Amino acid sequence: MNVFNREMRANYRSLLVWVLVIAGLNVLVLAVYPSFAEDSAKLQDLMEAYPEQFSKIFGLDRLNLGDPMGFYATEVYFMVLLFGSIFAAILGAGILAKEEDEKTIEFLLARPVTRTRILTDKVLTYVTYIVGFNLLVSLISYAAFVIFITQAYSTKALLLLMVAPVFVHLTFASLGFLAALFFTRRRSVYSVTIGLVVGLYFVGVIALLTRGLDWLKWLSPFQYVDAADIVLNESISALNILILLAVNVAAVAATYALYRRRDITV
Amino acid sequence: MAVIETERLRKYYGKARGIEDVTLTVEEGEIFGFIGPNGAGKSTTIRTLLNYIFPTGGTARVFGLDIVEDSAQIRAQVGYLPGEVGYYDDMSVEALMQYAAGFYQGGYSEHRPRIDELLDIFELDRRRKIHALSQGNKKKVGIVQALLHRPRLLILDEPTSGLDPLMQTRLFEVLAGEHKRGATIFFSSHVLSEVQKFCHRVAIIKEGRILRVEEVEKLRHGLFQKVRVVFRQAGGDEGAGGGEAGVAAQAQALDLPGVVHRAVDGRTVELLFSGDVNELVRRLARHDLESLWLEEPPLEEVFLHYYEKEGR
Repeated sequence: MNVFNREMRANYRSLLVWVLVIAGLNVLVLAVYPSFAEDSAKLQDLMEAYPEQFSKIFGLDRLNLGDPMGFYATEVYFMVLLFGSIFAAILGAGILAKEEDEKTIEFLLARPVTRTRILTDKVLTYVTYIVGFNLLVSLISYAAFVIFITQAYSTKALLLLMVAPVFVHLTFASLGFLAALFFTRRRSVYSVTIGLVVGLYFVGVIALLTRGLDWLKWLSPFQYVDAADIVLNESISALNILILLAVNVAAVAATYALYRRRDITV
Repeated sequence: MAVIETERLRKYYGKARGIEDVTLTVEEGEIFGFIGPNGAGKSTTIRTLLNYIFPTGGTARVFGLDIVEDSAQIRAQVGYLPGEVGYYDDMSVEALMQYAAGFYQGGYSEHRPRIDELLDIFELDRRRKIHALSQGNKKKVGIVQALLHRPRLLILDEPTSGLDPLMQTRLFEVLAGEHKRGATIFFSSHVLSEVQKFCHRVAIIKEGRILRVEEVEKLRHGLFQKVRVVFRQAGGDEGAGGGEAGVAAQAQALDLPGVVHRAVDGRTVELLFSGDVNELVRRLARHDLESLWLEEPPLEEVFLHYYEKEGR
């Protein structure tokens, strides 16, 4: 557990920054809700002024910004999902790439520790971090939710919206982890993985908006945990979660297989 | 018992040659020098032994264990100082030692006395952050992390580069202690003199191939020096006439036993010399010199002439 302990300590500062920024944004957004809800009629007018595509992107063709779950799903959930994915991708990529980037892998591989063990400890670290990240963000957001939102809402839907991002975040962390084998400079692997997150987000948007291209949604992890689906069904599709987990397993397994036979030259 | 045993070990990076047919045996308790110019394959050999890179051909065993299959087990008893040192910038020296020691049997608490002792010997401030250390101090951190667990085999890749002379001396004292304790030392360098001083046997590697493995005693008869003399004027007191002919005559006067190679260029004469320095100085004293350099020659030059001579 040496590497795990070390990694847990080494990354907590960036975790705190990300949690504070994202949870802070959530609190600010939730604080706006009361004034939104008051003027719900005006709001509907406003929404109708926007093009239909716009509403569709945020699921507002099926959700109502004026009710608590609709507001949370479109405003808060969206941010946690997207920005959290960037955090996760950077975490997964950086945790592996930094060793070769800073030549510290020379130090680590001189110890009596197998490569498999190093990878396992690093995977455990990012899994722990992602769960911790979502837990902290959710706790803070929930506190704000209770303070600012007085209308009735579905606790189950809210809870599901807090759990769902974890699977997407894990997926991007695992893909970043794999990418770190091919881009050993941290700066390049960060660009690649952030590009992947943003790119796949837009693939999802295109799938939503373009008739005939809706099959593209299977390429975008974001579409597996669609907010409107979760809120309206009060459930997350088990199949979707399984697919995301399978992607995780495949990415991590590929990383193990390649890393074990890799020439480490720094 | 052989501590390191390689059999036609080969490493290619794609098509680029790393090492070729390296066959070596290092016995327990030996101090073994591994010498060659930059890019000859010293680090490649070491990195293959530690399984940072995978051999393209051949086999190697350390402590009788396979370098690929049993690498982690091997590394439990190896201390490695890499040529280029990289450590976790955010850690203090002490935190790094804790991290390093945590991987070995007994952990930090058991290895702490040795760590403290080594940090004192090398005058390292344990609270300093790694990123605030100079290159020389980073090198010293590298030495301590390689030695802290009293390894059975020490693999040192150019350990003296970047160290000031005082610290080099301390390093050799510490290494002598390790050797006395029973450790085997595998020592790569491109400085012939330190290998000659310290090692029992030496392997010479060039362009990926082992040229030969030699008892250091046999190399010792030739402590080489590069001598460069600039005469003040052509001719000198001996009145052998002016111009280049005069220099040639002076150079002739420097023809004494131990001159392996001689080059004359205007008033400058360069010698590769492995004879009696006193005799050289006596000869030079007869001339009017503008300047005189004595330095350690580049390795390639020494070997070139060493083997030319051997070939005759």
